[in-house]
Amino acid sequence: MGVIDSVSRVMHNPQPLNLVDDILRPVGDNPVMQHGFATTSVDALMNWARTGSMWPVTFGLACCAIEMMHAGASRLDLDRYGVIFRPSPRQSDVMIVAGTLTNKMAPALRKIYDQMAEPKWVISMGSCANGGGYYHYSYSVVRGCDRIVPVDIYVPGCPPTAEALIHGILQLQKKIRRTSTVARS
Amino acid sequence: MSDPHPGSLAEQLAARFGDTLSLTAVRNETIAELAAADLIAVTTALRDEPVFRFSELIDLCGIDYLSYGQTEWDTDTAGGDGFSRGVEGQAMGRFNWDERPRAASEPRRFAAVIQLLSIEHNRRLRLHVFCDDDTLPMLPSLTSVWAGVNWFEREAFDLYGIIFDGHPDLRRILTDYGFVGHPFRKDFPLIGNVEVRYDPELKRVIYQPVSIEPRVLVPRTIRNDADLLQAKAEAADHWREN
Repeated sequence: MGVIDSVSRVMHNPQPLNLVDDILRPVGDNPVMQHGFATTSVDALMNWARTGSMWPVTFGLACCAIEMMHAGASRLDLDRYGVIFRPSPRQSDVMIVAGTLTNKMAPALRKIYDQMAEPKWVISMGSCANGGGYYHYSYSVVRGCDRIVPVDIYVPGCPPTAEALIHGILQLQKKIRRTSTVARS
Repeated sequence: MSDPHPGSLAEQLAARFGDTLSLTAVRNETIAELAAADLIAVTTALRDEPVFRFSELIDLCGIDYLSYGQTEWDTDTAGGDGFSRGVEGQAMGRFNWDERPRAASEPRRFAAVIQLLSIEHNRRLRLHVFCDDDTLPMLPSLTSVWAGVNWFEREAFDLYGIIFDGHPDLRRILTDYGFVGHPFRKDFPLIGNVEVRYDPELKRVIYQPVSIEPRVLVPRTIRNDADLLQAKAEAADHWREN
């Protein structure tokens, strides 16, 4: 199978994973190196680039942030997925809302989200961010961060394990892969 | 080496302050209740006099005695299947001070509790001060005695609405900017009065009236021994019959 075998397979979910990863193969069985050229759709190339370097803005709000740190630390090592936490929303593609979003924090969260460059995605991590969770009936907590920002992936748990967060990130990769940025007639 | 200050802390307090303090002891913890008017004089003496030397204020927090000692659930009606959860309860925030269910067991509504530590003598003291006015609770600020009490007093003001006279910067410390009310008061609705959402037309986060209904959330499992025995007997009967 080459870099791309047919456009129709590219556009379907789940997309075969070896399509763009061919670029990373060793020289001997790398079709790009063998043939000296590669063809692909712009969408597949863009999605490969986007899924391979999702940089989340560091937005830890509560205990979920501890699990997010675990996901980033050496045992699970989010760097393997090209996920590198950024201190600035201007450099970020993903916002991981990790923890309880309070009324007081909500305008700040929205401002950070608005400062992120397009395209951008949001992962809601944990019960509190998903729907208020334990604090659903509280006077000071937003009943779900989807009231403030559009959410792509909800990761359940209280808090979710680091593995669950990584699963959510992989689900977001899958979601990004099935988007087509370049309009096709 | 003989002890230069003989006697227990309670005895020393009684000898020094007399009727100003009303002393109790629970589990070897000395508790002194005093009037708000005496607070500054007593605390200054407790800090400075060599018998006491309470050099450190550990904590100051407010208390709302509304519905103190009253349980929301009537635990006498429990059967073998436990307590009903679908009660029409009088949860926090469903009544105010004027419509409180029964005569309060405490004469005053608001109080502040102050925890002191004497590093020199390695002992602690708890002060209990009631606010004289229920509608405008006010206490003298202790910032002139222990500067570290500043944020504790701001917290008590924020959550209970206790005003500390003489505080240099009495602002809210925890709740939202522009928050209305004092959320730890028992007549403050638990779900609050406002909620936030993002308005796509205005392109900002807006406040709107709260959209959910209050709900009794705390399952009460307080039961006395007679109920427990009854419940066990009924459960055994149920097991035999089925």
